[in-house]
Amino acid sequence: MKYLARRAIRAFALLIAVSVLCFLFTEMAPGSFFDEMRLNPQISPETISNLRSRYGLDQPLVERYGHWLLAVAHGDLGYSIAYNAPVAPLLWTRALNTLLLTTTAMVLTWLIGVPLGVWTATWRGKWLDRIVETGNSLLISIPEIVIALGLLAWAVRSRAVPIGGMISLSHDDLSGWGKLRDVLQHLLLPTAILVLAGVSIVVRHVRASVGEVLDAPFVRAGRGLGIGQVRLLFRHVLPVAASPGITLFGFSIASLLSGSLLVEVTTGWPGLGPLLLEATFARDLYLVIGGIIFSAVFLLAGNFIADLLLMASDPRIRTGGVNAE
Amino acid sequence: MRNKRRIRYLLVALAVSHLVVVFAGFIAPCDAKQQDRSLPYAPPTRMHFVGASGFHFRPFVFASLADADGYREDRTREYPVHFFVKGSSYAVFGMIKSDVHLFGVDAPARFMLLGADAFGRDEFSRLLWGGQISLAAGLLATLITLTTAAVIGTVSGFHGGWVDEALMGVSELFLSLPWLYFLLGVRAFLPLHVSPTGTFFLLIGVIGLIGWARPARLVRGVVLSARNRNYVSAARGFGASDLYLLRTHILPATFSVLLTQAAMLVPLYVAAEATLSFFGLGVSEPVPSWGNMLAALQHYSVLVSYDWLLAPAAALVVTSVMYGMLADALDS
Amino acid sequence: MNKDPANSRSPLLRVCELSKSYRRRGSPWQRGHVIEAASHVTFEIFAGETLALVGMSGSGKSTVARCVSRLERPDAGEIWLNQTDIAQLESSDLAPSRQRCQMVFQDAATSINPRFTAGEVIEEPMLIQQEGSQRERRQRAQGLMSEVGLSPDSADRLAMEFSGGQQQRLAIARALALKPSVLILDEALSGLDLSTEAQIANLLLDLQSAHALAYLLISHDLALVARVSDTIAVMANGKIVEQGPTTQVIGHPTAPETRALLGATESARVGLAAAMGMTP
Repeated sequence: MKYLARRAIRAFALLIAVSVLCFLFTEMAPGSFFDEMRLNPQISPETISNLRSRYGLDQPLVERYGHWLLAVAHGDLGYSIAYNAPVAPLLWTRALNTLLLTTTAMVLTWLIGVPLGVWTATWRGKWLDRIVETGNSLLISIPEIVIALGLLAWAVRSRAVPIGGMISLSHDDLSGWGKLRDVLQHLLLPTAILVLAGVSIVVRHVRASVGEVLDAPFVRAGRGLGIGQVRLLFRHVLPVAASPGITLFGFSIASLLSGSLLVEVTTGWPGLGPLLLEATFARDLYLVIGGIIFSAVFLLAGNFIADLLLMASDPRIRTGGVNAE
Repeated sequence: MRNKRRIRYLLVALAVSHLVVVFAGFIAPCDAKQQDRSLPYAPPTRMHFVGASGFHFRPFVFASLADADGYREDRTREYPVHFFVKGSSYAVFGMIKSDVHLFGVDAPARFMLLGADAFGRDEFSRLLWGGQISLAAGLLATLITLTTAAVIGTVSGFHGGWVDEALMGVSELFLSLPWLYFLLGVRAFLPLHVSPTGTFFLLIGVIGLIGWARPARLVRGVVLSARNRNYVSAARGFGASDLYLLRTHILPATFSVLLTQAAMLVPLYVAAEATLSFFGLGVSEPVPSWGNMLAALQHYSVLVSYDWLLAPAAALVVTSVMYGMLADALDS
Repeated sequence: MNKDPANSRSPLLRVCELSKSYRRRGSPWQRGHVIEAASHVTFEIFAGETLALVGMSGSGKSTVARCVSRLERPDAGEIWLNQTDIAQLESSDLAPSRQRCQMVFQDAATSINPRFTAGEVIEEPMLIQQEGSQRERRQRAQGLMSEVGLSPDSADRLAMEFSGGQQQRLAIARALALKPSVLILDEALSGLDLSTEAQIANLLLDLQSAHALAYLLISHDLALVARVSDTIAVMANGKIVEQGPTTQVIGHPTAPETRALLGATESARVGLAAAMGMTP
């Protein structure tokens, strides 16, 4: 329990630190942000003065931070000049799209990666294992952008899967099931890219940790006692090998919002990535910072969940043993 | 040991490939910026050995002529490939000037090993020149990251106490930031139109300063365990100063960690530069980099029709695989 | 055990009321508490003499060793090393005393930097104290190597190529480099096989008589202690519970902790005493 409380406080402190960083970003923007808004004929002077007073630009720094923090806590993440709309709703819809993509990819990655990792770990030493290991190392080395372009090239040539965007032009005319199928079809390519890029890391980690445990004395003792291979694997090896995997899983959760930027931009998936990229070009500061806050919150939440999972699975941490922090 | 030999071979291979890139000016037949608007998307020039007068060892090429549906070879004249030709001038490391190129053909034919891009620029030459930018970005950013990590990790591990807690807290903060988004954020509030040199240094500065957290923790771990070793206590017993301890006993222990981290970070950072340039946030035209060369492929029609433009992707893979193998070998 | 009966000079090492405690850091959930690792420890060692500090793990022996060698600063008490009380000196003032008292650690492998050559290991203290030229240091190092039973020609071999016993010899040679008068042997003979242990013990005894050194021997091995030391101090919970000449402490232990250390059964104690050639 103490461990949990400590981790929670840590996560909270980090959140505050990230928020301070983001706040300082907004403050440090060269030239008044509002000067740029003023130049935009679409925004009326009243809106500008409203926003100015709302953001209290004439108050001391700490007070401004307080106001900003309060606003953020209430879901008000500022105003986007490029879209001429408040930031938070913009981010939400896009974030949900991103989550759809990344969650699907993550589930698939782990569903494929873990069994593959465990299975190949049991082959250790055989020549098949060498091939898998070399192949996996190769796959890990290939940069994500190459995987993306490669799969994209294949997809465009073979016309096997629809490319670009989340829905086709005729989406609204489709039936309920048709709409679902449409989205799923568009999901295929970006998911495939993410899975290919991520599965190799999962396989490597799982293989390494399971392999390590397989060599442990208590496993050899179990084998000596005559415990069958399968029972040994599931009841004795996997629970122990799980810990580093859970940490990795935590990382996966943590990057649910931020890990798919490249894929979204190249395949045209309407997620957080393309939005923030445009925002960067448009120097739409509040949008970019809103995006950072969103994904940072996710990251911290993901790490915290990972801590929870780790605590639940590893009794050594619960009892404050050697491996506890 | 087999591993040591492997590391040696890999280092040689890496050195050779980096040298090729350093001497891009010499090896590349054309200037990276030289356009030829009459040859957009020209396919790779083919080398021939059998001509009108039979077989000769010296290969030759034909000029390319635009056609109704692509290009064809103009067989009216053979252009032999000459070696050590005079061509456009260049400077190695910006200092040694020359205008000798390894190979080339007489005008108006062009020997384009990997075809041409949208503006008729020789893809092969751009690949080599772009490699300078991309590899330099990776190496320099790695240098920045590892220097920062070494300093912070050593101070943290050696000093301990509140300094250690503070620095590790900051490192955890950096680990919590979604780095790509953070990069965008920093890029967003800096002026958009910086000169190519400016963007380059901006890029490596930002990439380098974001990634120090994990290596710093590793360095800190090594320093902590070295600090508690009895040979350090013994040296203290001889009256050694902290500086001596750091210099002689503790820092040398960090070298292997730093080296392995370097082998892991360089390909990561080269890919990061490529990604950012691909988005248009990195090195900008007309300076080539593997990333902005790949940006042309964002149009699906280009992606499908002109295979040779994927060359930078292949270069990225080769670089990453070589460094990856080095990292694996160093790890064991 | 070479005790010069006419040695009525002052002790080479005198420790008075040495105390050191550690505070276990508290947190919002748990109050920190204080561990008294050593309290009111007092003893003295003369030239050519060995005092053994024995006790169970956690009795405070290592703390005393670290305080005497000033790897840590004691909270209270005096440590007299050749007319200087080094207990509360600042690090900058410790330099001259450093060479008088040196420590040999338990595990030679971790007390020597594996990247160093044998010569570099022994020369290091002289290098740090900037004594002599490089050639002089090298010559002295080689001399020390032969003195501890190692071949001077192997000075350029990497330290980690030596065996465990040889590495401990290196550590001893290194400890002697600055010509100390007091050596602290912190479990220096533990972890060695019996024959190596015997060889090193004999080496140490020879060196002691050759250089009139005072030894503070930290150990939990009573058989060894019985053989090599002149005086024994038994520690428990940070305090010395019994102190006296070896024959007396082993033959007629008074403190319960001493008895416990000597073995539960009376016959074990009798056997040990008999092995030492004493009548029970």
